[in-house]
Amino acid sequence: MPETESPTIGYYTVVEDEQTGWTGGLLLLNGGGRPLEFQCTLPVRPTRAHEILFGLTLRDHLIGEVIGPLLVRKCRTPIGLLCCDQPEALQIETRINCPVALVEEAAMVDEGPIDDESLVGSTQVQLAGSNLRVAVEQAERVQKLAAVLIDLPDATEPFERIREAIKEAQSQIARPQSSRVPPAAAA
Amino acid sequence: MWKRHSTTELRAEIDNQNSWSIEPLQPAGVHDLQFDPIQPKSLSIRVSKLHATATGFVFPEANQWTPPVTATEKARHSKRKSYTSLQRHRIRPPNEVVKLQDRLYYLLQPPLDSLVGSGQLNFPFDPFPYQLDGIAFLFPRYAAVLADEMGLGKTMQAISTIRLLLCSGEIRSVLLICPKPLVSNWLREFQVWAPEIPVAAIGGNATKREFQWKSPDVPVKVANYELLMRDKETVLNSGLHFDLVTLDEAQRIKNRNSTTSEIVRAIPRTRSWALTGTPVENSPDDLVGIFDYLSPGHLQIGMPMNQIAKASKDYILRRTKDMVMNDMPPKLYRDAELDLTPEQWATYESAESEGVIQLEELQQELTIQHVFELVLRLKQICNFDPSTGSSSKLERLVADMEEVSASGKKAIVFSQWVNSIEKMKPALERFGPLEYHGRVPHKRREGVIEQFKNDPDCSVILMSYGAGSVGLNLQFCEYVFLFDRWWNPAVEDQAINRAHRIGVKGAVTVTRMLAMNTIEQRIASILDEKREMFDLLFSETSPTAKPLKRGGLSRDEIFGLFDLRAPDGKKVA
Repeated sequence: MPETESPTIGYYTVVEDEQTGWTGGLLLLNGGGRPLEFQCTLPVRPTRAHEILFGLTLRDHLIGEVIGPLLVRKCRTPIGLLCCDQPEALQIETRINCPVALVEEAAMVDEGPIDDESLVGSTQVQLAGSNLRVAVEQAERVQKLAAVLIDLPDATEPFERIREAIKEAQSQIARPQSSRVPPAAAA
Repeated sequence: MWKRHSTTELRAEIDNQNSWSIEPLQPAGVHDLQFDPIQPKSLSIRVSKLHATATGFVFPEANQWTPPVTATEKARHSKRKSYTSLQRHRIRPPNEVVKLQDRLYYLLQPPLDSLVGSGQLNFPFDPFPYQLDGIAFLFPRYAAVLADEMGLGKTMQAISTIRLLLCSGEIRSVLLICPKPLVSNWLREFQVWAPEIPVAAIGGNATKREFQWKSPDVPVKVANYELLMRDKETVLNSGLHFDLVTLDEAQRIKNRNSTTSEIVRAIPRTRSWALTGTPVENSPDDLVGIFDYLSPGHLQIGMPMNQIAKASKDYILRRTKDMVMNDMPPKLYRDAELDLTPEQWATYESAESEGVIQLEELQQELTIQHVFELVLRLKQICNFDPSTGSSSKLERLVADMEEVSASGKKAIVFSQWVNSIEKMKPALERFGPLEYHGRVPHKRREGVIEQFKNDPDCSVILMSYGAGSVGLNLQFCEYVFLFDRWWNPAVEDQAINRAHRIGVKGAVTVTRMLAMNTIEQRIASILDEKREMFDLLFSETSPTAKPLKRGGLSRDEIFGLFDLRAPDGKKVA
């Protein structure tokens, strides 16, 4: 099946928290923006030794080499396009078979304005009212996908969903379970 | 003359006593120091590889819970709306859903505002943001009270949520129960907000009704409360099951012992919703009645107010116009404090003094009914003098109507009595008065409303609280007159909100007529206390433990109106 027939779109972000550690979340949506699959990690807690020895590369290592590849590997549904809001995640592209895009509007919050110079070798592609930064050599492929993903309501908002879901998952740890019939599972 | 010395005579000497000398830098000797040889030891710090553990959830794609978009709609929405809202209208799981996967299922759905903005979710009119919040509130809930103030669009919010749930396949059968006069209103609203959903009102003879009850082809059935009593057997004992039962004007079941309440509670169902603008009319116990239908045992009679507020918080969504409609024109209250005409006053004074004497003479036989009769008699005199027909309220109403009519506006006049309505009609003849009350047959009522809406010669409609206080949209009226006051402020509010609701263009002026120094003034002060109770129970902040006077005209309060002593109680002034 060609990848543009009913493409899925993945959203990946990592939440860093001083208390809990680094928690990654990958949300896979269908073309209408509905959740198909959600993968998240338990918080990763680097030791002091990691912090000293990895230095400034720790963030790159965690986002791009430890958490991201694991979540992509775990994801059971094929990913058509992977969107991220942290430039460190772009390196995942070397390990997977789908283009990885940085959503400018989402990344700008922490990174400031992103342009051709700040992300060398990248170019812009429009998706659902947002600008995606993709590697020049992937631009055509992403443009084709974006042309099919016209029903996606918002290309930036899903990151908020991941953060909400991570918060929920973390708050669940202390919550007792009950036997209520699950509406989602029943559907 | 200077004497010169010869060079041989020059000699320099150091005075060792009075001068200093430096120790020589060159050490006098060499010392050897012996060190142990350094033998370095290697210490390896092993940095463990950073590992992450992942957990995953798969959500069924079948849950495409927006209605299918037609080709024309798609074309209409092909240009993306710039619907950038600062506040997301997200579906949040209620506290009763505890399993992580279920909670995430709701949390990971796209926010409703983005669906509306992208054209995936279509409404005939753009919903207000608070209405999206209402839909997001109802969608995941198995037990819920939507208690928005009258006029904020509870009907639209309920219908839109039902539409989403039906489209997603989460529910397949819905029973909607409402007061009889509102059935046609619900059908009309379904036509507007969910035209693709088949809806049927249960009606006709017994055979036809039984067929309708059991018909699987119509996912939404609308029945009225009275009919439910007649068809009790079919509804409860013929194997019917509803995925959702929604009660409109749910205050009808506040009395837990009423037959209506018992039947409603027994309907086999999965989800239970209640819609009411007045979840509490008289006392917090009214809410217990509604919760006995939603989630039996969750609230109990006599629970302290702060506990009730805390326990019900997750189940109730209540917004008032003040909270959500910043741009809505204001509601202006004007208390017309009137003195009775001399004729009225003479009749009133003798009726009160004679009445009180009679009540006192009854002594042990005195019942609350006797007191009520006197209250009603006096209130009627405050409206019209029975012998002469003189009325200070009517004089004021006619004067005010001149202005209303001259400015091309329309007004609603509410009274407790149809007799009072009939008495005021002749004096208002030039304003084209229409009547809407219990004596107007149901079949004609819709025509009356249509005429009032469209006929420029009809400037005023005379309504009874009972018939006109619920489910009517009269937002084109800018004036409301309360000819007499109802016992309960919640009913008064419902009446006022016929006019002060979404779509109203100008400020709504509410004139509350009050005969000074009469029973009406005494009742008004009790009504004010009730209003305070309601505000406290549904205030955002947690209610204080302050003991509150219970709502409703209690037995003691009714006796207290005439400074009487209840036969078996102490005197309440």
